[in-house]
Order: sequence, then structure tokens, then C-alpha cells
Amino acid sequence: MFDTETEGARIELRALTKHYPGQPAPAVDNVDLDIPAGELVVFVGPSGCGKTTTMKMINRLVEPTSGEIRIGGKDVLSLQPDELRRHIGYAIQQVGLFPHLTIGQNIGLVPKLLGWPAARIAARVEELLSLVNLEPSLFHDRYPRQLSGGQQQRVGVARALAADPPVMLMDEPFGATDPITREHLQKEFVRLQKRLRKTIIFVTHDFEEAIKLGDRIVVLRERSHIAQYDTPAEILARPADDYVAGFVGQDATLKRLALLRVEDVAPAGPPQQAGLPQVAAGTSLREALDVMIAHGSDRCSSPSGVLTYTALCGAVGTGRPSSPGREPEAVPSLPAPEKVVAGGR
Amino acid sequence: MNFSEYVVSRWDTLSLAAAEHVLAVAIAIGVAALVGIGTGLLVHETPKARNASLALSATILTVPSLALLTLLIPLTGLGWGSTLIALTAYALLPIIRNTVTGLNGVDATTVEAGRGMGMSRARVLMKVQLPLAWPLILTGVRVSTQMIIGIAAIAAYVDGPGLGTQIFEGLSRLGSVNALNATLAGTLGIVVIAVLFDLFFYAVRQLTVPRGLRVRH
Repeated sequence: MFDTETEGARIELRALTKHYPGQPAPAVDNVDLDIPAGELVVFVGPSGCGKTTTMKMINRLVEPTSGEIRIGGKDVLSLQPDELRRHIGYAIQQVGLFPHLTIGQNIGLVPKLLGWPAARIAARVEELLSLVNLEPSLFHDRYPRQLSGGQQQRVGVARALAADPPVMLMDEPFGATDPITREHLQKEFVRLQKRLRKTIIFVTHDFEEAIKLGDRIVVLRERSHIAQYDTPAEILARPADDYVAGFVGQDATLKRLALLRVEDVAPAGPPQQAGLPQVAAGTSLREALDVMIAHGSDRCSSPSGVLTYTALCGAVGTGRPSSPGREPEAVPSLPAPEKVVAGGR
Repeated sequence: MNFSEYVVSRWDTLSLAAAEHVLAVAIAIGVAALVGIGTGLLVHETPKARNASLALSATILTVPSLALLTLLIPLTGLGWGSTLIALTAYALLPIIRNTVTGLNGVDATTVEAGRGMGMSRARVLMKVQLPLAWPLILTGVRVSTQMIIGIAAIAAYVDGPGLGTQIFEGLSRLGSVNALNATLAGTLGIVVIAVLFDLFFYAVRQLTVPRGLRVRH
């Protein structure tokens, strides 16, 4: 259907508007947005800001009042809606598994709609169950009501991936789980996306989740106006205005530390110095700082070198530890984001 | 002659009447299920049509059965015709109501998930909503059946089939020979038929309700 069948496809929104009849103002007002192929872009904003409506216009569960949507260059509004939706993965917070079908049948549903032969569907279902860490022999013939909330969410993700769509829309897919399960699912999902490189629009009201998952974040205000569209590091370092800063919260610097890893900044030096607290190379700077504070030390040692408190502050551009505050320093270890169209109006 | 001797001596008459009773109820409930579920599928999403069909079938139910049967005589005459039409009409309300309630009661997010995956409106209705509403629809059919088994007895007044003849004949000559036996035989026969129909629907439920709806954690 789209030019690229499985790898991500670019999504372009142009002057996209949804005005419900009888409402004084549009729910989504004139949104312009480009989502690069293979990136995970998080829509974050308060409830009622129109983020879900914006997302649902992309698979036309909500028909736009005006504007354009293109996926991989194709005009979405000219396609047959049911056929279009079979080529866009869709996962929602309530999961919405069909309780009368087995897990296998639930996952195989879209491939069946697409007319895949039974053998190919069966193989794909096995593959997907393994992919989301559910043992196929155990789960294939179970029913949704026999699964825990976290397991259901995994099946929901597997079902959205079933026909290997280039584009996925996810509306708080981990929202209904407890914090521990959610964090686990998020970590798994990040690993999965690194491999699959789908174009994903991920809607959440949880800014922490947006930072963890997003290649880029779109911060939305009411009527889906775009307050800022940038990488998590940039939004944390340079919030566009007070509204975005409010979303970022008070601990922006700590959040930025969480995005960086020890191996990204640890200066040259003898690795693994004895007598210092030890951290792994893949540890985040936030966790490394925690270790330093816990040991009352201003440095810790990792396989890639010794990390000092000064280097840690330098990494987030705060210079000397005696002058805290948000300084507009580039984050050295993250590549600068390519320019993307970000607007709204 | 005591009751059991009466039953043995009139077995041919009684078994034929019972068989006719079952047949009349079975035909009526079959037609009512088809019409009622079909109506429910068509109207469940349109408030006006839904309310109209529910109001109409509820109105039918408020007409006393004897009056309805009498009113039907000029149109469909005595016997089977009027009996079947009346029974079918009475059976409709619980079936339509439960079908509409069942289909609309399916979780909106389940329906949305189906639409979001590219299932057409009709496919979601037939493959998702109908199976999920099925236990409730079946309950409606069961309630209707129990109701019209009783109403079918009254069909004897319009020369209809069934065990009603036994009851009314017996009652009309109460005090004379075998009058009480006839009434009892008719009444007990109807109780037995009601129990058998209920067992039948229990079996249908076990066989047709999707396993995924019956499993527990």
C-alpha cells in the first residue's frame, strides 16, 4: 500500500483540522507536522488537548474536516479507510483484545483480513509472541481473560505489529499497567523499536514516558497547537516557553542526565580504578550521580574511565558545580537533530 | 380411575397434545428468534428505530393473550395460524430487547480496536459484537420460550394445538369423572415441557457460547 512496506514511512500532516459540528472551536486546529521515517514521535499534552484526535485522523477513525495527510507520499484521504487501517498498526490503552478469540486468533486477525495463507499467519503469530516475550506454546491457545494486564498489553502490541505495517499509532498502550510492569514494557519496547525502525506516533500525557521512548517529542497545547517539536534532550535543555517548561517540570537537569550514559561522557583515564564506586558503562548519568551521592564521592569509576562530578555537570552544560542553572549549552554527546518542520500555527 | 391410570389410558391423546404444544412453541420461538435478532441487529445503532421496535413489541405484550387470540380469529381463523402468530408476537420483546442491550453493551474500545484494525462496520457487528452479545441474546430467547409455553395453553380457546385443551376441558366440567385428572395432566405436561426446553437451552448455551467468554483466570 505504501512505498515502503515494512520499514517506516514518512508521515506528513498539512493544515490538518477537525471541527466537530456544534462546537465553538475546532478540536484540532490547522496542524502542520512532519514525522521522519523510522522515528518514534511522542505526542504529549494534557487530556483534552486533541492529541488522540490528531492521531486518529491518521488512520481515519476520525475523519478530518480539512487538511492533508500523507504517508510515504501517499494521500491517505484518497484511500479506502478499512484497507488503509489494515496497513497501519493500532494499539490503545484499553488494549481491546477480543475476549471470544484466542491470543493466536487475536494476533492473526489483520493478516487474516489481508488474506494471508493460514501457514504464513501461524508462523507470524509464533514469531510475534516470541518477539513480545510470551512463550508461544503457552499463550497461543489461551484467551484474553486468562492473561494479566501486562500480558494483554504485550499481545496488543503484537497484534498491532502483526501485518508488519510501516506505520504504527499507539495511544497510551502501557497506560493501564502498574508502574513496574509499565517500566518493563517501555524498556522492551525501546529495544524492539531499535530493531524494527517503524514510524510510530505514540500518544501519552506522561512526560517521563515521552522522554524515555521518543526520538522526538511534540508538546501540544489545547486544540493540538504545537508548543514545541524537538528531541527530548533539546526540549529539556531549551523549552520553547513557559508552557513547555511547566511540562518539563522542576528536575529538567536530572531528566537530561537520565538521557546520557556514562560511556558517552566518561573522560579518558585509567578504567576501573579501585577504591571508587563502580558503575557499568551503560549506566545513565542520573544513576551514576545517585551512586556518587550514596558513596559521598565526587567521582566514580566505569570500564570506560573515571567519571567526575565536574564532567557530569559539563555533560549537561552547567559548567562549574557552583553555578547551577539552565545554561544554553549544547549536549555534546547527542547528535544535533536534523531540522524538521514544526509548526502548528 | 386415579391419575396414573388416566395418563396411561389417554396416552395417545396426551402425547399428541404434548407434541403439538412443543411444535407450536418451537416454530414460534424459531421465527421470533430470527425476526427478533435480525431486528436487533438492524436497529441497535439507530435510536429512533430501536425505540420504535421496542415500544411496538412491548405494546403487543400488554394485550391479554385471550384478547389477542380472539382478535386474530377474523384474520387467520381458528387453530394453528392464529396460535403461531400470537406466540411469535409475544416472544419478540425479550429477544429484541436483549439483542439490542447485548450489542450495545459490547465495550466501545473493543469495537474501536476492531475498526482500527481495518474490520468493516458489518464485520465488527457479526464477528465481534454478535458473539460477545450471544449469551444475553440466548437468555432473551430462553425467557421468551418459558413465557410462550404458558401462553400456548390459552390457544386452546381458539381451537389451537397443545395441552391447553386438557386443562380447559377439565376445568369446564370440574366435579365430573376425570375432570381433575385432565386438568392435572395438562398442567403437569406443560411443566415437563418447560423443564425440557430449559435443558435444551442449557445445552445450546454450552455449545454455542464462545469458550473465551466462559474461561476464568
